Amino acid sequence: MERPVYLETKNLIVGYDGVPLISDVNIQLHAGEILTLIGPNGAGKSTILKSIVGYLESLGGAVFISGKPVKELSAHELSLELSVMLTERMRTELLTCADIVETGRYPYTGRLGILDDEDRQKVREAMDMVHVWDLRDRDFMQISDGQRQRILLARAIAQEPHIIMLDEPTNYLDIHYEIELLNVLRRLVRTRDVAVIMSLHELPLARKVSDYVMCIKGDGVVAAGPPADIFVPEVINELYDLEPGVFDPISGNIRLEEE
Amino acid sequence: MQKQSEIDDGFGRSVRYRRVTVVFSVLAVLLVVLSAVNLCVGSLNVPIEDVWAILFGQQTDSTNYQVIWSIRLPRLISAALLGGALALSGFLPQTFFNNPIAGPFILGISSGAKLVVALVMIVIVGGSGVMTSGMMVISAFVGSLIAMLFVLLVSRRINSMSMLIVAGVMIGYICSAATDFLITFASDANIVNLKNWSLGSFSGANWNDIGIMTVVVIAASAAVFCLSKPIGAFQLGEQYARSMGVNIRAFRIALILLSSLLAAMVTAFAGPISFVGIAVPHVIKRALGTSKPLVVIPGAFLGGAIFCLFCDLIARCVFAPTEVSISAVTAIFGAPIVISILLKREKARR
Repeated sequence: MERPVYLETKNLIVGYDGVPLISDVNIQLHAGEILTLIGPNGAGKSTILKSIVGYLESLGGAVFISGKPVKELSAHELSLELSVMLTERMRTELLTCADIVETGRYPYTGRLGILDDEDRQKVREAMDMVHVWDLRDRDFMQISDGQRQRILLARAIAQEPHIIMLDEPTNYLDIHYEIELLNVLRRLVRTRDVAVIMSLHELPLARKVSDYVMCIKGDGVVAAGPPADIFVPEVINELYDLEPGVFDPISGNIRLEEE
Repeated sequence: MQKQSEIDDGFGRSVRYRRVTVVFSVLAVLLVVLSAVNLCVGSLNVPIEDVWAILFGQQTDSTNYQVIWSIRLPRLISAALLGGALALSGFLPQTFFNNPIAGPFILGISSGAKLVVALVMIVIVGGSGVMTSGMMVISAFVGSLIAMLFVLLVSRRINSMSMLIVAGVMIGYICSAATDFLITFASDANIVNLKNWSLGSFSGANWNDIGIMTVVVIAASAAVFCLSKPIGAFQLGEQYARSMGVNIRAFRIALILLSSLLAAMVTAFAGPISFVGIAVPHVIKRALGTSKPLVVIPGAFLGGAIFCLFCDLIARCVFAPTEVSISAVTAIFGAPIVISILLKREKARR
């Protein structure tokens, strides 16, 4: 059976203040797939993500979510389709980790946002999935950065969207939690048929976790395809301006000047 | 082990029913006690039994009856309502700017309201017209909106929270300076009016004013309470709020209008009053152990009412028969709390 297309962009042009930065972004993301954007710092990975959800006005082209133009979706309709995990640091006051995850239920609660048993069950499931139920009563400002990332992922899961968008989700994480986070994402796409779109810095992780990889550099998408086609020396060296032999994209080995 | 029902309540995990019940009970008791004291104590002490009798329509011919019904009761009601309005008019910009020391006074919103009221007072009253309460409210609202929009304009260009406060304080100074100019050129009769009002006091409200105050403050506060849900989402930042389905544009406009309206009501009827908007929400959040708007909003309203009743009692009794300006009293109790917020933040940063 053909999997539904959750996210599609057609010739999307993104940029700031009317100045195009990246043009011709064409994405087709099906249920149960993980798409990863890679590329040098400042290449515009976050700009693409922000333009897809409309935080930034796109300068051309179109975005479709579950077949509908994103511009025609209300904020509420969009929240049922897509949840986010952002890199911006958040400053909260006297809120527990569970409070943060509970905000994921926002689209489903009534006028005053009071949770019912089903909502609490979903919050519990999401927190269990990321293994943060133990943190439920801790103040969100008094846990480690890595723990905060996981809480925010649980929040995105509790929102039960079709698409989860993550901007540099492994920032602040050590290798243990990086791997765990990516395992959670894989489990998520497998068990719930969620589609994931994210940006990542760590190439070996991107290679392992992604179904598709899109390389962003300069003013456009320089390469796109399954990891096997992208993680070859030619593509990666070109993308990051590396001398041949300095970095092996498959093993992750690097060679320094003295060697 | 705590019982499941106690841990998993629907208000949000940090909201503990028992703690909330205790805090609201204490607030209710304080409100009743302070109201009683405010009615009894003054240059003329009225025994509590007499107050009771007077309120329920006996002893209609006594001096006490006059004192209670035309002076103390209106003053009590306006202090309580405007105190609640002040606390909320601080809580809203604090959420909006994600800044715990934002408030109508510090951001220059009260001073903006004061300037436009002074302007209208001098032009209208100077032209021998009469300044009605409705005109006071409208001009204060226009003034606070203009100041608020100015702060918003500045906040778009700067990202730093402390700079926002500095900009607000500067706006406040500009407006106060302009008000002083106006007073200098105003005629004697106007000055008396203006001076009394701009010092800040809960006195002088008549029953007609109380009517306007009750309707507007209660309606605006109820509207703020109805915004609990999006305010809670906004506590995680604008982008997260948007991703949860909050219509950011509509929400912003509602927030700006409501906080300006509440600040304007206070400025119109009592003059600019400092620090209540910062200190009260802060203390209430600590007491409740959460910043969930669903409980903080009603808590802050009650807390603001209590704080202003307390400060008004001090303002009129400590140096009786001379009355101290209410803003002086609120500053003495409120400013240390602001300093403690700043110190705590500095500590948290390390």
